[in-house]
Amino acid sequence: MQRVIRIVAVCVVIGFLVALIVFNATKPVDFTPWEMAMTKGDKETAKHHFIMYTDIFCPYCDKFSNALRAHAEDFQKDYIEDKNVFFEIRMTDVNYTYGHSNNSRPGGEGAYCAAAQDNFWGYYDALLTKLYDDYHSKGIGVSKDSEHIPDLPDSYFSDAAEKGGLDVEKFNACMESDEMLAKLDSNTKRAQNALQSGVPYFVFDKYTANGFLGQWDAEGYDWEQAKLLLDAGLASKQ
Amino acid sequence: MGNRKVKKTFKRRLSDFWESFCDRVKYSLFAINEIWQNPKYLACFIISFLLFLFILSFFKDGDGNWQLLWSGLAFDRKITVLGQVCVSMLGNFVSRYGLSIVLISLLQALVIILLVFAWRHRQKDATIDGASTGGIGAIFGFIALGCPSCGVGLLTPILTTLAGAGAMAMAETISGIFTVLAFALLFYTIIKLGYVNYVTISAAKATKNKEEKNAKSN
Repeated sequence: MQRVIRIVAVCVVIGFLVALIVFNATKPVDFTPWEMAMTKGDKETAKHHFIMYTDIFCPYCDKFSNALRAHAEDFQKDYIEDKNVFFEIRMTDVNYTYGHSNNSRPGGEGAYCAAAQDNFWGYYDALLTKLYDDYHSKGIGVSKDSEHIPDLPDSYFSDAAEKGGLDVEKFNACMESDEMLAKLDSNTKRAQNALQSGVPYFVFDKYTANGFLGQWDAEGYDWEQAKLLLDAGLASKQ
Repeated sequence: MGNRKVKKTFKRRLSDFWESFCDRVKYSLFAINEIWQNPKYLACFIISFLLFLFILSFFKDGDGNWQLLWSGLAFDRKITVLGQVCVSMLGNFVSRYGLSIVLISLLQALVIILLVFAWRHRQKDATIDGASTGGIGAIFGFIALGCPSCGVGLLTPILTTLAGAGAMAMAETISGIFTVLAFALLFYTIIKLGYVNYVTISAAKATKNKEEKNAKSN
């Protein structure tokens, strides 16, 4: 019995090491933006390209995005303008695909509907603010151990669209017609095939990292963590 | 005639096994208690615990810290990353996931001192067995860390590389199984090594008593 366990363990270790080597090998990343409405900065003149693969109902992604939102001016000035960074969000619904949150699907679909109105950032900011006020600030949906966010009605997303300054009628029509689902599905598949990982996943020039090491409600801590990641990305091209 | 074996019922066998298991647990606890009374082993236990807690805390959110250490960040900022891991060690005590990390670290540290004790008392077979089983437990515990489906887990690259992105749907379940296996193997190692060490301690005590008696009678 012990011999069997040892053989299994050796196989696990070898598999683990092989997987790490393969996983850490540099994969070619297509830097062509997926959706221009989900970007910040000027693609033509940018010296750096920073991509965040995300899902609106992924708590670690929201931690990172909230850190950037809370320090939007610093991010805009220190990175987008001074360091000439082009920032791109690649929206997926991987948490729906993996069976972790039904909300990922309408949340992601809404993002593409908002992008069609060229106001992705309005919707994204409003939805993240709502999620923080209603759930994250109460410890709901903040980690894998915490209470899950319940399935949200369509009106929740329409409300975020309204608060984000979108044309709500157009937004609702887009959501009802499901015209963006094909795009969301196709982009989620592209992300899964490219990353072989969950989200958040960051590609900053030659630097890649999965996960985000922030802490909810730790004033300034998440921004410091985000800066570490951003600066590691900047340093990768030097 | 005298070699005739009495066939035990399943219930009886189960009862015997349970009794024997309880005895071994009792003897192991006795051995651990004895070993702990030696300050050297206690220090070894505390150092091992902190070391394992640091390693597990470093990797508990995926390979983010590792990537930062190998990035082009300035040296002082890399030190900051390590400092933050030290702070996050304390944070483990206030969450369910963190507590499982603390518990695995405690069990690992216990296995280490039991191994050292067995090795120093020339229990070669027990040391090899304990090291391999405990090592396997440690590997399972290490791999099961994080939230694989969130992209923050060491299991993620293994699953996706070996079985494709679709395997991520099962990531949480597999991670849970690995965690249970890690605990089971570590407990098994502790009970087994603890029992061997109990026998060693008892034998040493008996020899000492005998020597004292002999000295008195002489």
